Amino acid sequence: MVDNAIAHIMRNYCAVWLALLILLGLSAGSAYLALGTFNLVASLTIAAIKAGLVAMIFMRLRGGHALFRAAAGLGLFTAILLFALSSADFLVTKIHRAPWESPERVEVNGSN
Amino acid sequence: MTSSSVSKHFSSEPVASVAAHFGMWVFIATELLFFSPLLLGYYYGRVAFPEGFAQASRHTDVIIGTLNTAILLTSSLVMALAVELRRSVSVRTYRTLLILTALLGLAFLALKGFEYATEWREGLFPNRHFHFATPHEHAAQLFFFLYFAMTAIHGLHLLIGIGLVSFLVVRGKSVSRDTAINIGLYWHFVDIVWIFLYPLLYLVSRHG
Repeated sequence: MVDNAIAHIMRNYCAVWLALLILLGLSAGSAYLALGTFNLVASLTIAAIKAGLVAMIFMRLRGGHALFRAAAGLGLFTAILLFALSSADFLVTKIHRAPWESPERVEVNGSN
Repeated sequence: MTSSSVSKHFSSEPVASVAAHFGMWVFIATELLFFSPLLLGYYYGRVAFPEGFAQASRHTDVIIGTLNTAILLTSSLVMALAVELRRSVSVRTYRTLLILTALLGLAFLALKGFEYATEWREGLFPNRHFHFATPHEHAAQLFFFLYFAMTAIHGLHLLIGIGLVSFLVVRGKSVSRDTAINIGLYWHFVDIVWIFLYPLLYLVSRHG
Protein backbone atom coordinates (compact mmCIF):
# COMPACT_ATOMS: atom_id res chain seq x y z
CA MET A 1 0.00 0.00 0.00
CA VAL A 2 2.70 2.40 1.06
CA ASP A 3 4.77 1.47 -1.97
CA ASN A 4 1.84 2.31 -4.23
CA ALA A 5 1.48 5.68 -2.59
CA ILE A 6 5.21 6.34 -2.96
CA ALA A 7 5.16 5.30 -6.63
CA HIS A 8 2.12 7.49 -7.22
CA ILE A 9 3.81 10.56 -5.75
CA MET A 10 7.08 9.90 -7.56
CA ARG A 11 5.30 9.46 -10.88
CA ASN A 12 3.26 12.64 -10.52
CA TYR A 13 6.11 14.81 -9.28
CA CYS A 14 8.52 13.54 -11.92
CA ALA A 15 5.89 14.29 -14.57
CA VAL A 16 5.67 17.88 -13.30
CA TRP A 17 9.47 18.12 -13.32
CA LEU A 18 9.61 16.87 -16.90
CA ALA A 19 6.98 19.44 -17.90
CA LEU A 20 9.06 22.14 -16.22
CA LEU A 21 12.19 21.16 -18.14
CA ILE A 22 10.29 21.06 -21.43
CA LEU A 23 8.90 24.53 -20.72
CA LEU A 24 12.44 25.70 -19.92
CA GLY A 25 13.58 24.39 -23.30
CA LEU A 26 10.69 26.16 -25.01
CA SER A 27 11.53 29.39 -23.24
CA ALA A 28 15.21 29.25 -24.14
CA GLY A 29 14.50 28.10 -27.69
CA SER A 30 11.84 30.69 -28.47
CA ALA A 31 14.26 33.45 -27.40
CA TYR A 32 16.35 32.63 -30.46
CA LEU A 33 13.46 33.24 -32.86
CA ALA A 34 12.81 36.78 -34.03
CA LEU A 35 9.23 37.20 -32.80
CA GLY A 36 9.33 40.86 -31.80
CA THR A 37 7.14 41.67 -28.81
CA PHE A 38 5.92 38.11 -28.74
CA ASN A 39 9.32 37.01 -27.41
CA LEU A 40 8.54 38.82 -24.17
CA VAL A 41 4.96 37.56 -24.08
CA ALA A 42 6.10 34.00 -24.68
CA SER A 43 8.90 34.01 -22.12
CA LEU A 44 6.77 35.55 -19.37
CA THR A 45 3.81 33.29 -20.13
CA ILE A 46 6.02 30.22 -19.98
CA ALA A 47 7.53 31.52 -16.71
CA ALA A 48 4.03 32.01 -15.29
CA ILE A 49 3.07 28.44 -16.26
CA LYS A 50 6.23 27.07 -14.64
CA ALA A 51 5.59 29.11 -11.50
CA GLY A 52 1.99 27.93 -11.51
CA LEU A 53 3.06 24.29 -11.69
CA VAL A 54 5.55 24.71 -8.83
CA ALA A 55 2.99 26.59 -6.74
CA MET A 56 0.02 24.32 -7.42
CA ILE A 57 1.76 20.95 -7.28
CA PHE A 58 5.04 21.23 -5.34
CA MET A 59 3.74 23.87 -2.94
CA ARG A 60 0.41 22.02 -2.67
CA LEU A 61 -1.78 25.03 -3.36
CA ARG A 62 -4.06 22.82 -5.42
CA GLY A 63 -6.17 20.84 -3.01
CA GLY A 64 -4.78 22.67 -0.02
CA HIS A 65 -6.67 24.85 2.41
CA ALA A 66 -8.32 27.83 0.71
CA LEU A 67 -6.53 30.21 3.10
CA PHE A 68 -3.20 29.38 1.40
CA ARG A 69 -4.53 30.26 -2.06
CA ALA A 70 -6.00 33.42 -0.56
CA ALA A 71 -2.68 34.47 0.95
CA ALA A 72 -0.75 33.71 -2.23
CA GLY A 73 -3.37 35.41 -4.40
CA LEU A 74 -3.47 38.49 -2.23
CA GLY A 75 0.32 38.80 -2.34
CA LEU A 76 0.29 38.54 -6.10
CA PHE A 77 -2.59 41.01 -6.39
CA THR A 78 -0.82 43.55 -4.15
CA ALA A 79 2.35 43.31 -6.25
CA ILE A 80 0.37 43.77 -9.48
CA LEU A 81 -1.52 46.71 -7.97
CA LEU A 82 1.71 48.43 -6.94
CA PHE A 83 3.25 47.81 -10.35
CA ALA A 84 0.17 49.20 -12.10
CA LEU A 85 0.05 52.33 -9.95
CA SER A 86 3.78 52.98 -10.25
CA SER A 87 3.91 52.39 -13.97
CA ALA A 88 0.92 54.69 -14.47
CA ASP A 89 3.37 57.41 -13.56
CA PHE A 90 6.23 56.77 -15.95
CA LEU A 91 4.16 55.33 -18.79
CA VAL A 92 1.99 58.41 -19.32
CA THR A 93 4.40 61.14 -18.35
CA LYS A 94 6.43 62.51 -21.19
CA ILE A 95 9.94 62.49 -19.87
CA HIS A 96 12.35 65.00 -21.36
CA ARG A 97 15.72 63.48 -20.81
CA ALA A 98 18.74 65.66 -20.41
CA PRO A 99 21.56 64.40 -22.62
CA TRP A 100 23.81 62.00 -20.75
CA GLU A 101 26.86 63.72 -19.42
CA SER A 102 29.85 61.84 -18.19
CA PRO A 103 31.08 63.14 -14.86
CA GLU A 104 34.39 64.91 -15.19
CA ARG A 105 37.16 62.54 -14.45
CA VAL A 106 39.02 63.54 -11.35
CA GLU A 107 42.64 62.55 -11.01
CA VAL A 108 43.14 60.73 -7.71
CA ASN A 109 46.70 59.72 -6.93
CA GLY A 110 47.34 58.60 -10.45
CA SER A 111 44.34 56.25 -10.63
CA ASN A 112 41.91 56.47 -13.58
CA MET B 1 1.65 13.67 18.22
CA THR B 2 -0.37 14.12 21.42
CA SER B 3 -2.75 17.00 21.97
CA SER B 4 -0.47 18.30 24.74
CA SER B 5 2.05 19.28 22.09
CA VAL B 6 -0.44 21.68 20.47
CA SER B 7 -0.06 25.27 21.61
CA LYS B 8 -2.96 26.51 23.73
CA HIS B 9 -3.67 29.09 21.04
CA PHE B 10 -5.18 26.42 18.79
CA SER B 11 -8.16 24.21 19.36
CA SER B 12 -6.61 21.19 17.65
CA GLU B 13 -3.58 20.04 15.72
CA PRO B 14 -5.07 20.41 12.24
CA VAL B 15 -5.92 24.02 13.10
CA ALA B 16 -2.36 24.61 14.31
CA SER B 17 -1.10 23.10 11.06
CA VAL B 18 -3.20 25.40 8.90
CA ALA B 19 -2.04 28.37 10.96
CA ALA B 20 1.61 27.37 10.50
CA HIS B 21 1.30 27.15 6.72
CA PHE B 22 -0.88 30.25 6.45
CA GLY B 23 1.81 32.17 8.31
CA MET B 24 4.45 30.87 5.90
CA TRP B 25 2.35 31.87 2.89
CA VAL B 26 1.86 35.38 4.29
CA PHE B 27 5.64 35.60 4.75
CA ILE B 28 6.17 34.42 1.16
CA ALA B 29 3.74 37.11 -0.02
CA THR B 30 5.84 39.73 1.77
CA GLU B 31 8.98 38.28 0.17
CA LEU B 32 7.39 38.80 -3.25
CA LEU B 33 6.90 42.45 -2.34
CA PHE B 34 10.51 42.49 -1.12
CA PHE B 35 11.71 41.66 -4.63
CA SER B 36 9.19 43.97 -6.28
CA PRO B 37 11.06 47.30 -6.16
CA LEU B 38 13.95 45.84 -8.14
CA LEU B 39 11.51 44.24 -10.57
CA LEU B 40 9.79 47.62 -10.97
CA GLY B 41 13.19 49.19 -11.66
CA TYR B 42 13.75 46.54 -14.30
CA TYR B 43 10.30 47.19 -15.77
CA TYR B 44 11.07 50.89 -16.00
CA GLY B 45 14.50 50.33 -17.49
CA ARG B 46 13.27 47.91 -20.10
CA VAL B 47 10.46 50.24 -21.18
CA ALA B 48 12.72 53.28 -21.21
CA PHE B 49 15.84 51.72 -22.76
CA PRO B 50 14.78 48.67 -24.78
CA GLU B 51 17.84 48.59 -27.01
CA GLY B 52 20.31 49.11 -24.16
CA PHE B 53 18.71 46.35 -22.13
CA ALA B 54 18.65 44.04 -25.13
CA GLN B 55 22.34 44.56 -25.82
CA ALA B 56 23.30 44.19 -22.17
CA SER B 57 21.27 41.01 -21.78
CA ARG B 58 23.22 39.39 -24.61
CA HIS B 59 26.33 39.65 -22.43
CA THR B 60 24.90 37.34 -19.77
CA ASP B 61 25.91 33.70 -19.95
CA VAL B 62 22.77 32.02 -21.28
CA ILE B 63 24.29 28.53 -21.03
CA ILE B 64 24.96 28.88 -17.31
CA GLY B 65 21.67 30.70 -16.79
CA THR B 66 19.68 27.93 -18.44
CA LEU B 67 21.64 25.21 -16.66
CA ASN B 68 21.11 26.97 -13.33
CA THR B 69 17.38 27.14 -13.98
CA ALA B 70 17.31 23.41 -14.67
CA ILE B 71 19.29 22.85 -11.46
CA LEU B 72 16.81 24.79 -9.34
CA LEU B 73 13.80 23.13 -10.96
CA THR B 74 15.35 19.75 -10.15
CA SER B 75 16.08 20.86 -6.60
CA SER B 76 12.39 21.72 -6.22
CA LEU B 77 11.47 18.23 -7.38
CA VAL B 78 13.81 16.61 -4.88
CA MET B 79 12.69 18.91 -2.05
CA ALA B 80 9.03 18.22 -2.79
CA LEU B 81 9.73 14.48 -2.80
CA ALA B 82 11.59 14.73 0.51
CA VAL B 83 8.68 16.50 2.19
CA GLU B 84 5.95 14.42 0.60
CA LEU B 85 7.62 11.06 1.23
CA ARG B 86 8.84 11.96 4.71
CA ARG B 87 6.45 9.73 6.58
CA SER B 88 6.66 6.84 4.10
CA VAL B 89 10.43 6.42 3.76
CA SER B 90 13.34 5.78 6.08
CA VAL B 91 15.21 8.60 7.77
CA ARG B 92 18.17 7.76 5.57
CA THR B 93 16.21 8.21 2.33
CA TYR B 94 14.61 11.37 3.67
CA ARG B 95 18.03 12.79 4.56
CA THR B 96 19.48 11.77 1.20
CA LEU B 97 16.78 13.67 -0.67
CA LEU B 98 17.39 16.74 1.47
CA ILE B 99 21.16 16.53 0.99
CA LEU B 100 20.59 16.30 -2.74
CA THR B 101 18.44 19.44 -2.56
CA ALA B 102 21.15 21.35 -0.70
CA LEU B 103 23.86 20.13 -3.10
CA LEU B 104 21.86 21.33 -6.09
CA GLY B 105 21.49 24.70 -4.37
CA LEU B 106 25.24 24.85 -3.81
CA ALA B 107 25.87 23.91 -7.44
CA PHE B 108 23.68 26.86 -8.47
CA LEU B 109 25.68 29.23 -6.25
CA ALA B 110 29.00 27.88 -7.55
CA LEU B 111 27.96 28.47 -11.17
CA LYS B 112 26.64 31.91 -10.23
CA GLY B 113 29.99 32.75 -8.65
CA PHE B 114 31.77 31.68 -11.81
CA GLU B 115 29.44 33.94 -13.83
CA TYR B 116 30.10 36.87 -11.50
CA ALA B 117 33.86 36.37 -11.83
CA THR B 118 33.64 36.39 -15.61
CA GLU B 119 31.44 39.46 -15.65
CA TRP B 120 33.78 41.24 -13.26
CA ARG B 121 36.72 40.52 -15.54
CA GLU B 122 34.78 41.83 -18.54
CA GLY B 123 34.12 45.12 -16.74
CA LEU B 124 30.39 44.54 -16.50
CA PHE B 125 30.12 45.11 -12.75
CA PRO B 126 28.47 48.55 -12.46
CA ASN B 127 31.21 50.39 -10.62
CA ARG B 128 33.61 53.10 -11.76
CA HIS B 129 35.33 50.66 -14.11
CA PHE B 130 32.20 49.61 -15.93
CA HIS B 131 32.57 49.79 -19.66
CA PHE B 132 30.27 48.78 -22.43
CA ALA B 133 31.43 50.17 -25.74
CA THR B 134 28.12 51.15 -27.34
CA PRO B 135 25.94 54.28 -27.30
CA HIS B 136 23.78 52.46 -24.76
CA GLU B 137 26.44 52.29 -22.09
CA HIS B 138 24.37 53.94 -19.38
CA ALA B 139 21.33 51.79 -20.02
CA ALA B 140 23.57 48.72 -19.97
CA GLN B 141 24.98 49.85 -16.64
CA LEU B 142 21.44 50.13 -15.28
CA PHE B 143 20.72 46.63 -16.57
CA PHE B 144 23.80 45.22 -14.88
CA PHE B 145 23.04 47.03 -11.65
CA LEU B 146 19.67 45.28 -11.66
CA TYR B 147 21.26 42.00 -12.72
CA PHE B 148 23.77 41.95 -9.87
CA ALA B 149 21.29 43.28 -7.29
CA MET B 150 18.52 40.82 -8.16
CA THR B 151 20.71 37.75 -8.52
CA ALA B 152 22.67 38.59 -5.35
CA ILE B 153 19.51 38.99 -3.27
CA HIS B 154 18.16 35.80 -4.81
CA GLY B 155 21.45 34.07 -4.04
CA LEU B 156 21.28 35.23 -0.44
CA HIS B 157 17.78 33.77 -0.16
CA LEU B 158 19.05 30.55 -1.69
CA LEU B 159 21.89 30.42 0.83
CA ILE B 160 19.40 30.81 3.67
CA GLY B 161 17.34 28.03 2.12
CA ILE B 162 20.39 25.77 2.00
CA GLY B 163 20.92 26.52 5.68
CA LEU B 164 17.33 25.60 6.49
CA VAL B 165 17.53 22.37 4.48
CA SER B 166 20.81 21.51 6.23
CA PHE B 167 19.01 22.01 9.54
CA LEU B 168 16.43 19.45 8.39
CA VAL B 169 19.20 17.03 7.41
CA VAL B 170 20.91 17.30 10.79
CA ARG B 171 17.74 16.99 12.85
CA GLY B 172 16.11 14.35 10.65
CA LYS B 173 12.56 13.43 11.53
CA SER B 174 12.71 15.04 14.97
CA VAL B 175 11.68 18.27 13.25
CA SER B 176 7.90 18.40 12.87
CA ARG B 177 6.25 17.73 9.53
CA ASP B 178 4.78 21.25 9.54
CA THR B 179 8.24 22.79 9.81
CA ALA B 180 9.55 20.57 7.03
CA ILE B 181 6.63 21.59 4.80
CA ASN B 182 7.25 25.27 5.58
CA ILE B 183 10.94 25.02 4.69
CA GLY B 184 9.85 23.31 1.47
CA LEU B 185 7.51 26.23 0.72
CA TYR B 186 10.40 28.66 1.19
CA TRP B 187 12.61 26.63 -1.13
CA HIS B 188 9.97 26.50 -3.87
CA PHE B 189 9.42 30.24 -3.58
CA VAL B 190 13.14 30.88 -4.14
CA ASP B 191 12.83 28.65 -7.22
CA ILE B 192 9.82 30.65 -8.47
CA VAL B 193 11.71 33.94 -8.13
CA TRP B 194 14.46 32.51 -10.33
CA ILE B 195 11.90 31.17 -12.82
CA PHE B 196 11.02 34.81 -13.52
CA LEU B 197 14.55 36.27 -13.23
CA TYR B 198 15.83 33.86 -15.90
CA PRO B 199 13.87 35.18 -18.90
CA LEU B 200 14.07 38.78 -17.69
CA LEU B 201 17.86 38.75 -17.39
CA TYR B 202 19.05 36.16 -19.90
CA LEU B 203 16.49 36.10 -22.71
CA VAL B 204 15.79 39.75 -23.51
CA SER B 205 17.12 39.52 -27.04
CA ARG B 206 18.88 36.40 -28.22
CA HIS B 207 17.91 36.41 -31.83
CA GLY B 208 19.70 38.13 -34.68
